[in-house]
Amino acid sequence: MTAVEHAPATSRGWFNSKVFAKLAIRLGAFAAFAGIMIYFALTARGFTTTYNMINVVEQSTILGFLAFAMTVVFIGTGTDVQKGGIDLSIAANAGLCAAVYAVMMREGYGNYVAIPAAIGTGMVIGFFNGLAVVTLKIMPLLGTLAVMNIAAGVELTLTENTVVPVQSDLMTVLAFGRFLGISTLAWCLIIGSVLLVWAIHYSKIGLRLYAVGGHIEAARAAGINTGRYVYGAYIFSGFMAGVASILIVSRLSSSTPGTGLMLLPILAAALLGTVFSRRFIPTIGGTLLAALFIGFLANGFQLLGISSYWVSGVQGALILLVVTVTSFAKKH
Amino acid sequence: MTNQTDTAVRESRFSLEAASNYAVIVAFIAVVIFFTFAAPGFMSGENIFNLISNKVVLLAIVALGMTIVIGAGGIDLSVGVSIDLSSMIFIMMIAAGYMGAFAVMGGLGAAFCVGLLNAFLINKLKINPFLATLGVLFIGKSIQQLSTQGGVPIYLTRAEYAAPFDAIARTSLLGIPTPIIILVVCIIGVYLALHRSVFGRYVAALGAQADVARYSGIRVPFHMSIVFISCAVLSGITGILLSSTVRSYVPLAGDAFLLDAIGATFIGTAISAERRPSVLGTLIGVALLAVMRNGLLLIGWNFFWQQVGIGVLVFLVLGLSFGLRKRAE
Amino acid sequence: MTAAAIEMRSINKIFGPVKALDDADLVVEAGTIHGLVGQNGAGKSTIIKILAGIYRRTSGNVSVFGKPLDQITPASIEAEGVHFIHQDRLLVPTATVAEAIFLRNEPRVGPFINYREMNRRASELLKLYFELDLDPRTLISELSTAQQKIVQITRALAHDAKVMVLDEPTAALVSREVESLFSVLRRLKTDGLAIVFISHYMSEILEICDVVTVLRNGTDVGVVDPSEVGIQKIVEMMTNRDTSEMYPRREVEIGAPVMSVRNLTVDGAFEDVSFDIRSGEILGLTGLLGSGDKEVLNTLFGQIKPDAGEIILHDKQQKFGSPVDAVNAGVAKIPEDRRAHGVATGLSVGENMSLASLGQLSTRGFVDRKKEAEVVDGLIRDLGIKTPDRHTLVKNLSGGNQQKVVVGKWLGCNSEISLLDEPTVAVDVGAKVEIYNLMNRLASEGKGLVFVSSDLEEVTEMCDRVLVIYRGKIIGEYKRGEIDADRLLAAASGAVAETERKRA
Repeated sequence: MTAVEHAPATSRGWFNSKVFAKLAIRLGAFAAFAGIMIYFALTARGFTTTYNMINVVEQSTILGFLAFAMTVVFIGTGTDVQKGGIDLSIAANAGLCAAVYAVMMREGYGNYVAIPAAIGTGMVIGFFNGLAVVTLKIMPLLGTLAVMNIAAGVELTLTENTVVPVQSDLMTVLAFGRFLGISTLAWCLIIGSVLLVWAIHYSKIGLRLYAVGGHIEAARAAGINTGRYVYGAYIFSGFMAGVASILIVSRLSSSTPGTGLMLLPILAAALLGTVFSRRFIPTIGGTLLAALFIGFLANGFQLLGISSYWVSGVQGALILLVVTVTSFAKKH
Repeated sequence: MTNQTDTAVRESRFSLEAASNYAVIVAFIAVVIFFTFAAPGFMSGENIFNLISNKVVLLAIVALGMTIVIGAGGIDLSVGVSIDLSSMIFIMMIAAGYMGAFAVMGGLGAAFCVGLLNAFLINKLKINPFLATLGVLFIGKSIQQLSTQGGVPIYLTRAEYAAPFDAIARTSLLGIPTPIIILVVCIIGVYLALHRSVFGRYVAALGAQADVARYSGIRVPFHMSIVFISCAVLSGITGILLSSTVRSYVPLAGDAFLLDAIGATFIGTAISAERRPSVLGTLIGVALLAVMRNGLLLIGWNFFWQQVGIGVLVFLVLGLSFGLRKRAE
Repeated sequence: MTAAAIEMRSINKIFGPVKALDDADLVVEAGTIHGLVGQNGAGKSTIIKILAGIYRRTSGNVSVFGKPLDQITPASIEAEGVHFIHQDRLLVPTATVAEAIFLRNEPRVGPFINYREMNRRASELLKLYFELDLDPRTLISELSTAQQKIVQITRALAHDAKVMVLDEPTAALVSREVESLFSVLRRLKTDGLAIVFISHYMSEILEICDVVTVLRNGTDVGVVDPSEVGIQKIVEMMTNRDTSEMYPRREVEIGAPVMSVRNLTVDGAFEDVSFDIRSGEILGLTGLLGSGDKEVLNTLFGQIKPDAGEIILHDKQQKFGSPVDAVNAGVAKIPEDRRAHGVATGLSVGENMSLASLGQLSTRGFVDRKKEAEVVDGLIRDLGIKTPDRHTLVKNLSGGNQQKVVVGKWLGCNSEISLLDEPTVAVDVGAKVEIYNLMNRLASEGKGLVFVSSDLEEVTEMCDRVLVIYRGKIIGEYKRGEIDADRLLAAASGAVAETERKRA
């Protein structure tokens, strides 16, 4: 028999300090968010007006939807971006869906055909990601990269790298409609977040998806069909890209090249979101906060007259800061 | 339940495994044969020469850097920043009237600093390479926008600036253009470093299991720094070659190399049984991508369709290689 | 007569050229605790993984409570009431206790998971079976090994398990925890569950099992009652050889001290530790989990910086800032977690074995591949490492052979001091003996060895001297011949210290 026994005194103290450090860092994330908001409120003229606030929320809707998609992929495949899963194709996929929608509208198909076609396209792209990662066992980083290239290429061939304008009643409703004083886009974000919070945090599917991403062997041993969940996460991500593409088109009244550039802010929002959760895992609420944070940051800079050239640098520094702080918190 | 006999099982396993290793090479040969027939002029000496000296050289040098990094278990998303900053400093110094040699050193110095920053983030702040270099990618973008009023290119097409550019891009030694000589030197250097030297063994150990390297008394942070700095400096060489060829600096131009370099390196891993990055594999990957792009252009596909075509090809090759591998296991 | 809970007949499993199971049978009756023993590679885990639906059998029949099962998947076997408590604590680290227990069995209200009900039932179950007051919202990653084991068992109970298969459940538990685990298992047995118990510890098999199936080379070589035949007989069935030569002897002249440790202190781990290691000596270091023995070893290897005291090697005071310094000073370490720290399983045997000594095998930074091949091939032959050649990847080797690769790595670089942290964990009896032989060989070459192990029998048999650590202090030193496992256990658990304190 092994002769081993705990030394409870030391382990207890260590446990407490760990909990304390985690708490401090989690509150720190909220405090940093609040601090920056207060700073902007005091220095940036017009920052606190209702109009501006709603404007930021609207601007964050598209980023939020796509970041939710990335979050779901992270949940189902783990946040180790190098060895775990990632969906590099999300932004390019949204661009492709927007192109499909815009081109079909231009050809006169109408919303009833064009919207399902756009969302369907997104899901097909998501399926290819699943095929690459689950069935063919290609590293996610690589498989979704190849899919990203395909999606971006198809988008360019559809639009020939031009702006495709779209006019429809639905677009007007989405872009300018209001309900209870809140714009349609903001409603989309609210409803989308609520539905996802249920699906991810209060349904059995969400709980099992976390299990698959948290420890795939454990999930498999518990009898979960892990492949199906990972496929599902990627297809869902494609679905969200399709939905977001409709919002993109309605906001810009057109499909415009360059949606693929959103990949980095999407990654930033999804990763940043983990510091807002107790367990340092991706959550819908955390991602929502992070997307809003990024939105307010860009808005505040704009109002303060700081060059927009700083924005990406600040986002980069933020990612580095967040990751350093979380890895420090996890260790201590 | 299978009724296969022992030997039948074994034979099919081995042939699948072998097939999975050759998938990339077979694909490359098939693509070359296809374009030889489909695209007139593809096999002409002129086309191949242009292909190598314009496209292959630039991508191959970045991909060699990426090979070292991926071999050590990391990834470098900031190669574009190294390319761009090197190119930017180089062009700015030439414009300011510095000697060509100083400008080259300035450019490489800038790339070196990017590598050093990556190494600092990874070793000291313990950020994983993907996120560390992602952060640097963002920051690099801001730096370029701030130094060029949001991305205005710098063109140095006037004759007074031509000398240093010509010295790099238009001279040749024994009939071989200088850029190709630089590439060959880089290939030999990286090959010796990765496959013949002690450093290469340490890189392999870091890539396989960094903790084992640490427990074997290997200075992990030091070697990681060398890995990321080498990659950045190699990318910096590409930046200078790029600028010398086009006599200009276009902000964010380096980003175009990132995905191809990663793609080429990973395609290259498919030729080794252990799926490890290697110099030979990466060169095959680079050649495959370059030939595809060139061939599709020659048969009249526009840039957009080329991108689709390459994406599909990469997907198929990877799928074949990884899929067969999985079946074999 | 009712059907057996589990009936596996004539199971064959072929992995490529290897026949892992050869007509093996396993029949487990309800209401019994059934032991499954065998050396590593005998087929224990293969037969269990076939039952669990992780591997597919090549041929043979499986039935559960008389119901024949054709295709088994992890989900379908759970539906039959068969649950597995895997050795490597397969739990999601970011889940809470309640979430882990009710995974795939979540209490719901409509489309919502009822977290309150889930937490309530989780704490109820934990209290009912284990008398454990644990907040069900605690994260799995914050639990101790024993608590994670308990969560796994509770999960099976929450799913109304009829059969429970426990693979090495006691491997990381302390004796008190093992006792409480056993009382739970006995209780489940009286409730009518069939329990399959896999363990390397023969004393546990004897204590808890009603029946034992012994596997050797993929075949069941006997089904016996352990209390009738005794441990000796079972071990002989497993190994097919006599156990008396388990611990090889050596005659070595113990020389002058190689390394001296003086007043070494790491705050919160150990204090004022002093000892010498002489050449040709195997020095045991033992204590309970958390007593500080591992920390001492880690400090000697430069993984922890001491707060006070000195390490003297080669007549020089050494400051180890990292393992690099320790290795350069001639210290080698065989780490406990072989696959994480010992060998890079994705590299070849040769690459692993030359890793620490590349400095000597290279000229001007380039590897001298001829010299390397000679040295590595020599070591492979010398150590009897079973591998086709030096290019084979380490992951294709058995655990014992992997451990020999770790030892070989350090043999190549002529370290003066070898630190061994649980070198025989998870290797089978045969490989253990070979590792003991290697230790003796190092000692006979005049090296000094520090040996940390929680297997007290092995410590008493192998060491020339044993230091016992209790709560961070050395409380006893015993020479070979003065010690036996029982006295060592008493010392390590503090009994000696307590009596001395009372006397003083």
